[in-house]
Amino acid sequence: MKRLQEIAEGISHAGAIVGGALLLVAALTICVDIFLRYAFSLTIGGADDLSGYALAISSAWGFSLALLRRSHIRIDTVYVRVKSRAARAALDLLSLGCLGLFGGLVAWHGWGVLSLSWASNSHSQSAIEMPLIYPQGLWFAGLAFFVMVAVLLVARAVRALIAGRPDELFRLIGSKSAVDEAEEEIKSIEHAMEEGKTRGRT
Amino acid sequence: MTAGISLGVLLVVLGSSIAVAAGMAMVGLILNEAYSPMPLSRMMGELAWATTSNFILTAIPFYIMFGEILLRSGVAERMYNALVQWLSWLPGGLMHSNIGSCALFGSVSGSSVATAATIGVVAMGEIDKHKYNERLFLGTLAAGGTLGILIPPSINMIIYGVMTDTSIPKLYLAGFLPGFILTVLFSLTVLIACLWKPRWGGRRIETSWQERWRTLPDLLPPLVLLLIVIGAIFFGFATATESAAVGILGALVIAAWRGRLSLAMLRAVCEGTVHTTAMVAAILVGAFFLNIVIQTIGLTQQLSQLIRAYELTPAQVLGAVIFLYLVLGTFMEELSMMISTIPITTPLVLQAGYDPVWFGVLLVLLIQTAMISPPFGINIFVIQGIRGRGQLVDVEVGSAPFVIALLVMIALICAYPGIVMWAPRAFG
Repeated sequence: MKRLQEIAEGISHAGAIVGGALLLVAALTICVDIFLRYAFSLTIGGADDLSGYALAISSAWGFSLALLRRSHIRIDTVYVRVKSRAARAALDLLSLGCLGLFGGLVAWHGWGVLSLSWASNSHSQSAIEMPLIYPQGLWFAGLAFFVMVAVLLVARAVRALIAGRPDELFRLIGSKSAVDEAEEEIKSIEHAMEEGKTRGRT
Repeated sequence: MTAGISLGVLLVVLGSSIAVAAGMAMVGLILNEAYSPMPLSRMMGELAWATTSNFILTAIPFYIMFGEILLRSGVAERMYNALVQWLSWLPGGLMHSNIGSCALFGSVSGSSVATAATIGVVAMGEIDKHKYNERLFLGTLAAGGTLGILIPPSINMIIYGVMTDTSIPKLYLAGFLPGFILTVLFSLTVLIACLWKPRWGGRRIETSWQERWRTLPDLLPPLVLLLIVIGAIFFGFATATESAAVGILGALVIAAWRGRLSLAMLRAVCEGTVHTTAMVAAILVGAFFLNIVIQTIGLTQQLSQLIRAYELTPAQVLGAVIFLYLVLGTFMEELSMMISTIPITTPLVLQAGYDPVWFGVLLVLLIQTAMISPPFGINIFVIQGIRGRGQLVDVEVGSAPFVIALLVMIALICAYPGIVMWAPRAFG
């Protein structure tokens, strides 16, 4: 199952980079659109639709990345005051279960949205007239993948619990304290600045 | 009654550390089950698609991406060093540069955490070098960082605007003057503290006019970006989303000019953007669902009946809402606090007759206050994390004077709503 999780992490990671690239392309398309609008009173149209699709697809794929990195926001005011490790593990499982249920509901009804677009052959409203099933298909795939990751994590956490390894459960699905969150944010910023500096010198 | 139960269920569910996004959806399901015969969960698919493919909300990942690129472009360090030359003659020295840098960075960044973290990383090394009062110095960084969401662009204002159907350009216009006044109030706080205890102000930093003019060009990139990103919205050339897209292009050009553009950097930018965006999007989907349930079960009408039944004056309603946020703000994560309460508090305040743009700015100020009030204040954690030594309490104590400045600002806009409403009325 550990192997499965590594694969899931790889897929999430790739999904996030592709999703981010979609957003970047959408932003640049909007810039071209604005330029054409003011320079030649032309519009290529559809840039706004495309960026909406980019957001939907990238956030659907980002859900699983955030889940694997335990960064979906939780309010841990009570959690950190609970001393019993068993109770904490129960809260972690409850939170994960609710997230999985939420994702499952969205994915289930998202499938309805997708099949309706398929059946009625819907196209986007703008000039590009893209069949909606393409962006919605990628969006739904991201949601379905999120549900699979949630199920995998529940399975791994329960197994860790039964085997009497609560630490493993906390590593997998435990609530990150706000202090940990802040430290990660800072590390990534320091890293980003350093990275920039060294490249700037060479 | 229903309103009280709704808020109670919300607090219990979110308090039990269920992920906020899922928690809000669960509260929606519970309220739906209890008060309405229609199974609203069927709407979740359509709602999730409509929310996340909303063009206006695309501004959120764009501003996040803009910030991620800017961070890697080396703009922040140069800007800070230039502001040191221009502001450090004031009693309190670098602490004014901290606040000024935060205000300037905040005017291109839509996030308070990003602003505090970026300027914090740049400034932290200076405490020991110039023997400042450490606590006050830390306070300027934590408090200055909060300016990121008041001075446009602001991710929080976009979320508020979309959730309450309020014009985002008007919110941006409204945020400018309070942002400027608050920056001055923060600086005044430092000034008063350092006139009272001159020792806190540290050693004087040697500057010269020659140095000042030499570093001036380093202020240009953020100022140009500011003009592009904000100017385009104000003068009606572009929507918030479009101007954010242009900002991304501008930041890429600056990064390329500084020789910091690379494939590895772009990959990191993409990944960071999607990671943050997904967290926000998940909460938004949950909140939009809760919002629809709340509207369907007629909570808004009940709230206005409640106001009539108890003959509450607008000021009493507003006072209660402000009090609620000050209390919630001490222990709730700020973004979740804002998104999960907007569906309940906004209709209440609007029913009492307040302007949605004005309340949007008030809400941002309350969130800023929450960000630096212990025990849970995200900016306090960020600054303590960068500092990496000593106790958390130092940052908390250092931030306290700035909490007072924020409360003064809140009182100011309540007494003189014109501070907020002047710009949107004049230009909007």
